[in-house]
Amino acid sequence: MIPDPKRKLSQRELLFLIALLCLSVGPHVLHLQPWISAFFIGMVTLRLLGLSRPALLPGRFLLFLLTIAGLANALAHYPLMFGREAGVALLTSMLALKLLEMKRERDIYVVVYLSLFTLITQFLYRQEMLLVVYVFLVVTGLIAMLMHTNMMRSPSRPTGLLVRSGGLLLQALPLMLIMFFLFPRFSSPLWDLGIRDNRAVTGISDNISPGSVSRLSRSRAVAFRVDFDQDRIPEPARRYWRGPVLWDTDGRQWTAGDQIPERASDFFASGKPVDYSVILEPTGGKWLFALDLPHQVPTEASLEADFQLIHRGPQKRRFQYRTSSYLNYNTGALSEFQRFRGLQLPDNITPRMISLVAQWRGGSDSALVDQALAYFNEQPFHYTLYPALLGDNPADQFLFDSRQGFCEHYATSFTLLMRIAGIPARVVAGYQGGEVNPISGHLVVRQSDAHAWSEVWLPDLGWVRIDPTAAVAPERIEQPLDLDRISEEIGAPIDFVPVDISFVGALMEQFNWSMDALDASWHRWVLGYSKKRQSKLMDLLGLGFLKGSQLVYAMVGITAVAVTLMTLALIYRGRPKPNPVQAQYQRFSNRLKKLGLQRRSYEGPRDYGRRILHRRPDLRGQVEPILRLYIGIRYGRMNNLANLRRLKQMVGGFRP
Amino acid sequence: MSQNPNDTAIKQLLDLTISRAGEVILGKEQAIRLSLACLLARGHLLIEDLPGVGKTTLAHLLARLLGLKHQRIQFTSDMLPADIIGVSIYDRTEGVFHFHPGPVFSQLVLADEINRATPKAQSALLEAMEERQVTTEGETRRLPEPFFVIATQNPAHQIGTFPLPESQLDRFLMRIELGYPDPHSERQLLKGRERRELLEDLEPALNLDQLRKLQASVDRVHVSDAILDYCQAILEFSRTTQRFNHGLSPRAGLGLLRGARAWALMEGRFQVLPEDIQAVLPATVGHRLHSTADTGVDEGQSLARYLLESVAIP
Repeated sequence: MIPDPKRKLSQRELLFLIALLCLSVGPHVLHLQPWISAFFIGMVTLRLLGLSRPALLPGRFLLFLLTIAGLANALAHYPLMFGREAGVALLTSMLALKLLEMKRERDIYVVVYLSLFTLITQFLYRQEMLLVVYVFLVVTGLIAMLMHTNMMRSPSRPTGLLVRSGGLLLQALPLMLIMFFLFPRFSSPLWDLGIRDNRAVTGISDNISPGSVSRLSRSRAVAFRVDFDQDRIPEPARRYWRGPVLWDTDGRQWTAGDQIPERASDFFASGKPVDYSVILEPTGGKWLFALDLPHQVPTEASLEADFQLIHRGPQKRRFQYRTSSYLNYNTGALSEFQRFRGLQLPDNITPRMISLVAQWRGGSDSALVDQALAYFNEQPFHYTLYPALLGDNPADQFLFDSRQGFCEHYATSFTLLMRIAGIPARVVAGYQGGEVNPISGHLVVRQSDAHAWSEVWLPDLGWVRIDPTAAVAPERIEQPLDLDRISEEIGAPIDFVPVDISFVGALMEQFNWSMDALDASWHRWVLGYSKKRQSKLMDLLGLGFLKGSQLVYAMVGITAVAVTLMTLALIYRGRPKPNPVQAQYQRFSNRLKKLGLQRRSYEGPRDYGRRILHRRPDLRGQVEPILRLYIGIRYGRMNNLANLRRLKQMVGGFRP
Repeated sequence: MSQNPNDTAIKQLLDLTISRAGEVILGKEQAIRLSLACLLARGHLLIEDLPGVGKTTLAHLLARLLGLKHQRIQFTSDMLPADIIGVSIYDRTEGVFHFHPGPVFSQLVLADEINRATPKAQSALLEAMEERQVTTEGETRRLPEPFFVIATQNPAHQIGTFPLPESQLDRFLMRIELGYPDPHSERQLLKGRERRELLEDLEPALNLDQLRKLQASVDRVHVSDAILDYCQAILEFSRTTQRFNHGLSPRAGLGLLRGARAWALMEGRFQVLPEDIQAVLPATVGHRLHSTADTGVDEGQSLARYLLESVAIP
């Protein structure tokens, strides 16, 4: 068959085409308005039914009505017809209608190109690696479809076409990489054209009330990943990831309050700092998490007086930063302002709270802290992810009645007790711990690692981190929560005893860690390839002088060179190869080259032999058999493998 | 390379023929070999040279050696086609026309000084040479088998010549030149007997049967793909180079291969080597090639040489 745009499509072709179109649109169906998705699914169903019963397919007039309906449907949900959602909705609706009028070969091209375009729009929503793999697979199918259309003369099997199309795409990979690395990056991301990342998981916020952290802790979502330089990962008990610092409370809720109008003071530090880079998942918060205490400020962030790292704007997309922390520190003296704020008390302090603190008085501040911790440790406090609801005065109720709570209960009530005792104290929210991915070696901190602790100011030590949770459930500090094993019963204590992991469980864990490692690298090397990284790479390649539009020229130039080289390679590979006999003859001639007896291009073997022997009669014993055999193979009927091997041997042994 | 006794006999027979011929035409072994190869390949031969260098003698010699019935036609400018083909004469006693065959009806035709005749007379030979049959007065008559034409001609620049049309030149498998003899051969020639007498005493080296067998043997000579590649490369080059007016015809290619086969057989080989192609190349293509820069001088030999050295053996 000759490619003919007017040829009618076969059932099989239609089926493949419908499948490819559905695969291209597919992921959109999940997040578009249900009515748009319903319209698409309806049209696909109609088309599929039409395969066996063509009578069901709408005629021209009905198709026109359907088109109007599709448009109306899209308009009804996106009246302004502006922005990403509206565009995709319209595209999806129109593609659904295109399904109904696919008839001829020409439609293959239209559908394939539209599908390719639709696939690109998928990236407007998500840019994760699995989607890239998915898109790659669908593109392979689409290219195979195009190949099929152009290879009607010699139809091949779908699998063969898919393999070839995959091969084609792989061949395009180097070009893709060149373009990826050289395409100019903008300081503001390309995707920020009215695109909202609705994947952001709510993280730690600037206020804590009883239950807010435990709610967060029920999520397995990754909060951030950390890469430590030289893999110097601190022990679990020192992995306190500092987030918002909360000063103000109304007795129920703790909030950060106004910013402290001071500059971050220098602190005394000992030991080597820990350097690391963090990939922060989008949270919508403005904090950059860092180990206690950060001393290096990432770009576009600032370090507050209470050592929170605050980014300029909320984190709506994945963000990577580098920082460095000292694990041993002394923040030194306390400003009057901080002392004042660190001692503020809410109105609902009860007498039994005051009398409790009064019992501990008498020693130094640090002795008092120890006594308070001992209280948490000795009294029957439970550590639970599902604490009972507390009333108007949660601190009082928690301390004396329910005695079951999560870290925020312990941290807030402890801080309150310290303030009653006259020790400046504050609540710090953040994450504690994290798991090391055994595959890639980076640390994964999840929402379930969300934590809250206290900081008290002691005269010689400065601000000291006190984690009352550790007094109640020291295991919490050593190992992460295993959400699968936590009972949802109210007040059920958290069980930290490790269980034996089955083989399948171990495999699953291995798989999960691998996916996590892949996801981290995906962000680090692909999505996180920013303008800064690009210029770094260019510097590394000695191409640092290329800026802006020059990069485009370089990209075009390198691409052109690469394509030329590939073409040349193809030509080289496709060149007529000398047959093995000629190769041996050539080798023979090359051996004689140094004697000045190279064969002339038009010289026949006998003439050549005569010329050799004229100059070197001593070679007769070697030259004659070789030439005789060569003539027999090349011009006679002796062309077989055995003779060829013999010739190879003889020429190999011929060393004039 | 195995050689059965029969093959050895062929070589001996051919060597004998060549040595016999060498006794008459002195120092012209190459020309003799070429003309013999031409005849073994069932081709017509054109001998071109100045008067008196032994063209006619060579033609006679070949006719005698091969033991063929031969007739000589001396071409002149007033010749008519009927002088070659024959005429129908009215027999009064029987009242019918009888066809009297012309000299073309013989196994070997010696067309002497063919370019002295007008194109009209020359073309009378055309059909006979290619089709091996003659059509006169609506009747087609077959020519004897074998049928050879050995024509001689003077170089075109001589006075009173009509150059053979290209179509006719193409029908000659080979064109050879004799040239002056070398001093040694010439001395012997001068000392020795009259060539005509020698010719008359000459015993045929072959009989008709042997000739037919030899011709059949030519067809058995193996032509490998490599040789076909080479042959095609030559044809291709002749058609693409700027130096030739026009390229070689497929007939020239066929002729080249047939000549090479016959040449290989005469060497006692049953496979064609590039050297065989090269040996017959100048004689086979020389009269078919014309330089783009028409100098008026026949450059056949030098063009053939150029062709030979330009095409690499694949």
